[in-house]
Amino acid sequence: MTQLREASFGAAAPAGWSGWLASRLRRLDWSVLVWLAVLALLFLLVVLPFFEIILQSLRDNEDGGLTFDNYVKAYSRERYLVALWNSVRLGLWSSLLCVIFAVPIAWAVARTDTPAKPFINMTVLAAFVTPPYTGAIAWILLAGPNSGWLNRAWMWLTGAEQGVIDIFTFGGLVFIIAIYSFPFVYIFTLSALEMVSTEMEEAANILGAGTFRTMWRVTLPLALPAILGGVIITFLESIALFGSPAIIAIPGRFNVVTTQLYQFFSYPIQVEVAAAYAMPLLLITMLLVSLQRLVLRRKGFVSLTGKGGDRRMIQLGRWRWATFGYAMFVAALSVFLPYVMLTQAAFAKAWGRGFSLDNLTLFNFEYLLFEHQMARLSVLNSMLFGGAAAFLALVVAVFVAFMVQRRLVPFGGVLSFLCVAPFVVPGIVLAIGFYAAYAPPPLALYGTSWILILAFTTRFLPIAYVQSNSALRQINPEMEDAVRILGGGRLTAVRKVVAPLMKRGLVGTFLLVFIPATRELSAAIFLAGPDTRTMSIMIFDLSSEGNFEHLAALALLLQVLTIPMIWFGYKVVGRDFMLRRS
Amino acid sequence: MIDRSVRILAASLLTAAVGWTAAAAQSVEELYAKAQQEGELTWYTSHASAEVMENYGNLFTELYPGVEVKVVRTTAQVAFQRLQQDLQNRQNICDVISTTDLGHYVKLKADGLLAQYTPPNAAQTFDVFKGLDPDGYYHITSSGMVALTYNSDLVSDAEAPTNWTDLLDPKWKGKVSVGHPAYSGYVGTWVVTMRKLYGWDFFEKLERNDPRIGRSINDTVTMLAAKESAVAAGPDATTAMSAERGNPLKINYPTDGALLMIAPSAVMKDAPNPNAARLFVNFLLSKQAGELGRKSYQVSLRPDVEPAPGFKPLSEIKTVRPTLEEIRTGIPEVVEDWRDLFGN
Repeated sequence: MTQLREASFGAAAPAGWSGWLASRLRRLDWSVLVWLAVLALLFLLVVLPFFEIILQSLRDNEDGGLTFDNYVKAYSRERYLVALWNSVRLGLWSSLLCVIFAVPIAWAVARTDTPAKPFINMTVLAAFVTPPYTGAIAWILLAGPNSGWLNRAWMWLTGAEQGVIDIFTFGGLVFIIAIYSFPFVYIFTLSALEMVSTEMEEAANILGAGTFRTMWRVTLPLALPAILGGVIITFLESIALFGSPAIIAIPGRFNVVTTQLYQFFSYPIQVEVAAAYAMPLLLITMLLVSLQRLVLRRKGFVSLTGKGGDRRMIQLGRWRWATFGYAMFVAALSVFLPYVMLTQAAFAKAWGRGFSLDNLTLFNFEYLLFEHQMARLSVLNSMLFGGAAAFLALVVAVFVAFMVQRRLVPFGGVLSFLCVAPFVVPGIVLAIGFYAAYAPPPLALYGTSWILILAFTTRFLPIAYVQSNSALRQINPEMEDAVRILGGGRLTAVRKVVAPLMKRGLVGTFLLVFIPATRELSAAIFLAGPDTRTMSIMIFDLSSEGNFEHLAALALLLQVLTIPMIWFGYKVVGRDFMLRRS
Repeated sequence: MIDRSVRILAASLLTAAVGWTAAAAQSVEELYAKAQQEGELTWYTSHASAEVMENYGNLFTELYPGVEVKVVRTTAQVAFQRLQQDLQNRQNICDVISTTDLGHYVKLKADGLLAQYTPPNAAQTFDVFKGLDPDGYYHITSSGMVALTYNSDLVSDAEAPTNWTDLLDPKWKGKVSVGHPAYSGYVGTWVVTMRKLYGWDFFEKLERNDPRIGRSINDTVTMLAAKESAVAAGPDATTAMSAERGNPLKINYPTDGALLMIAPSAVMKDAPNPNAARLFVNFLLSKQAGELGRKSYQVSLRPDVEPAPGFKPLSEIKTVRPTLEEIRTGIPEVVEDWRDLFGN
């Protein structure tokens, strides 16, 4: 900035128009320019792709005119409608299952003396950072109807001819989605339960209610809005997923909205029909997000008064082993068993041959890292795109949060709305919007890294914004005012005061975007070209041949690369990292 | 006199022959020189498993140092979809296209998207593999078979299916593995063939046997090796490779005819690396590539490449093959019917 100013100073030497311009430039508040730049960027990232989806859905592919034909095409076949209904059922059942997994554990951790809570939290976090498609691959190894290890164990134990669990079913998909989405409900419920003050429970106890009656009648109802909030999130997550349905539903012989959208992209590519077909997904999401806002805002319970007051843990006695056992049971399903299987397959010559020394090999890793050129590239791509998107999202989010909170600009509300709006756009719908807006000329970003980086930035902008907003809220504006009074500019204040104070929060936010961005599949699916394939796309491509040894190795590689990031997050942010609601 | 004229004739024939080979050889060398400037090529392929395709890419770079191959292996329909996405957005990324759905080539040629190029090695193949396209826009560079495959730990040779309709026997309920015609070119062609031989009724009966449906036809090999399924309509090459690695897999060539797949390759008209692309298509038909194909149990395209060990020559196997036109119109039809019937 100073360079810029000096440059304009130099130009001011000759008198007249340029001198006037220079003096104007000197006095200009640069934040106006930044504001315009951010607004333009938000327009490109959020507004344009969104409008492009709606526009596409109404566009006549032949003459470019207005038409409803795409809607007719999108809803005229029974198969397409069944897929819609399947998605709704999928969302309902998996969020119900999420509640069953999450709420007891959250209650045990927040309100009781259940042992090894940090460890329980760790297992939930491990489930949280496991991409659903990785989980789906692991569960095929565990519960393939004839060859899965659980089924083999069953057949061996009972002498039965056939296994008992078939993962390639609707129920199988519900389970796989729930076992990796329940952390959302967990986080919401945990935060709410930690806020409930003990006095209410004590009152119930004094009036003669036992531990479980108290929990049932007092504690849980108080946390109900938060649980509902989590349920809505998992519902939306389940209907928006693409990876695990693609892996499970094709052999399972059913379709959901996202796999049907993928079909509209097969030859002949019907972007317009896909856009029309995506509308219910978009509408449902918008509706439920506003519902969630409403539910969470209207909680109005005075009992939720922050962490103040005496919070005593319920003494469960022997029962604490039951709650601990339940947490471990869920952890076994989501983390222990799947990772044992993935590791076995990744280091196996043939996974079906089981655990034996002569079946051990490093070949799968060697193949992926040294012989398979594109796999190696995909590892780099994932890291690069994730990093770039996290950086970009962070910059935009911090600028907007700062400008809005400090009331530097008019219409701050609009900016802040634009930052959180992508939350209502499912990844695969976002991909369609970006494809329609930026893939074709004039921008012709298809096949470049940029289209993926921008799509990921948009996708995770809401996380970045909410996080930076709360980080910024903790900084008192008076400190910046002091800088201004002492003659420093707005930007000096930001650079010398705000940024250093926010450093911790910023690193945490960066990681919160970086980690999910490295595994994003649905937003990448129509945007990646051959050179810009990410690990998630590579896993999707490899999975078509069912090469589980290579698949497991690649999926494991992705997880191993995540561990240092999480460790770093813990160091910087503390034990709440990723498991905190804000 | 006679002696002299014979000698002249012989000499001129010799010169002609030498000259002709030299011209051919030189043109390949020229291609290589120009390809080195380009340094790489992108190959969209679904001809064989990802692993085998990577081997082809690596062998090419070994033979022609300085020219790298970016192998993009997917199923045929996914490869074609991505190619269409590229083209719609006017991005020329793909140099060589090698899918297993013949219909793709008819369409690409009609749309004027392929380069007219006949590699010198095309003359070296068996006659049956020559001249699929009379105008030389695409050439068969790979061939394989869809046959009956089974896991011999689960199924004895005596009970193993011997013709296609045996797959419909209720005793295989929940134990049959197939690929998906909307993804795999092999499977799409197989479904067209079965419909031609036995009518759509074949699949209505197959549906009652609740088959395990993957995407790529190579998925059947994984399913058999894992004992997830017992029998399959599978690719003979990938199955044989898996058997070579110790999996108990066997192949029956059905008595009503194994499906003979022919899979072409073509250079894209606006290939970003046109010389490397041509060099590569010529390489796919070379003896070296043939030897690699032999190791990967591909059907031999050249008389100077023996069939894979333990494999009968093509002439001794009863094969069936739909016409190009039947494949072109048939695959889109059966994909729709399949989705209505199987729901995926």
